[in-house]
Amino acid sequence: MNPSTGSGAETPIQVYLDEVAARLYGPRRARTRILAELRDGLEQAVADRTDRGEPAGRAATAATAEFGAPDVVTAAFAGELATAYARQTLITYVATGPLVGICWLLLLHPDPWRTGLAASITAIPVLPLIAAGLATSAGALATTGRLMRWLPETSPGRALAATATVAGLTMAGDLIIIGVAGHSGFLTRPLAVIAVTAGLARIAYSLRTILSVGTWPRRPALGLKHLLRRRTTG
Amino acid sequence: MAMRPELLKGHVDALLLAVLEPGPQHGYAVIESLRAGSNGTLDLPTGTVYPALHRLERAGLIGSDWETVGGRRRRTYHLTTAGRAALGEHRALWDEFSIAVSALLGGGTKPAPA
Repeated sequence: MNPSTGSGAETPIQVYLDEVAARLYGPRRARTRILAELRDGLEQAVADRTDRGEPAGRAATAATAEFGAPDVVTAAFAGELATAYARQTLITYVATGPLVGICWLLLLHPDPWRTGLAASITAIPVLPLIAAGLATSAGALATTGRLMRWLPETSPGRALAATATVAGLTMAGDLIIIGVAGHSGFLTRPLAVIAVTAGLARIAYSLRTILSVGTWPRRPALGLKHLLRRRTTG
Repeated sequence: MAMRPELLKGHVDALLLAVLEPGPQHGYAVIESLRAGSNGTLDLPTGTVYPALHRLERAGLIGSDWETVGGRRRRTYHLTTAGRAALGEHRALWDEFSIAVSALLGGGTKPAPA
């Protein structure tokens, strides 16, 4: 029997998934994939049980119990979802930064070009902010990704903090550079219109990011005592 | 003697990698293998093992592919080259650790009277 079509098996699974979905917090795509994976696992668990002769309704109830209470399951996913959000946001900053940066560089570069770092910082005063943002992004991405095999892993809380830091630096940088460009009288150039539009979009995105991180649900870390359900005696 | 949960700390990654060593498996099959392979001792709430698999994928130690099976979307996990290397490292560390602990605990030698 296909548990997804059995009337007795479908309801407890859907109720369970609805409860999990209501508690999951994080990027929509990641949540959708989690729910699809849980559904497949639950339906496989029901199928295994009905193949062994259990009635479909009882199999579905037993399968949801086997998966763990919805609050335990969502608490277990909370860290991964927070990290997924942090990585997705940081990648957005790293990907869009150069596009906006090139526009400002073309508008504000010191004349003549090669006059050294001091002249560049004077002309483009946000360079230290950009460097700090890039370093923070690179560090967080490295220690939540493939390099965490060799480097200390960044916790989800710290990854969120790094994301808020980069958002703050970006917002400050974009506000300063728009102010500098306005003061210098560059804003009438077509390239400046593009740069200002992109800068304002990044300011809005950064504001939303800071608000998201600030209101991110704080959950207690899931200890192993919650994970090891059955204790055996030796 | 009760098995204390903290004994599992630090070993979940290695256990999941070991379960995937013979070949690709979907999430529920991984959990069933973990349960069956430990004779039921490692009976984790199934829904909490998926995040551990996702973390291993983020670390590049396992990969996953989505497929459609019986009208359902299914995610199948496989060990990567880096995962195979990491499993080897875990095994070497475990061998060293277990030999050392067994040497101290396994002899059954009683302490000399004071």
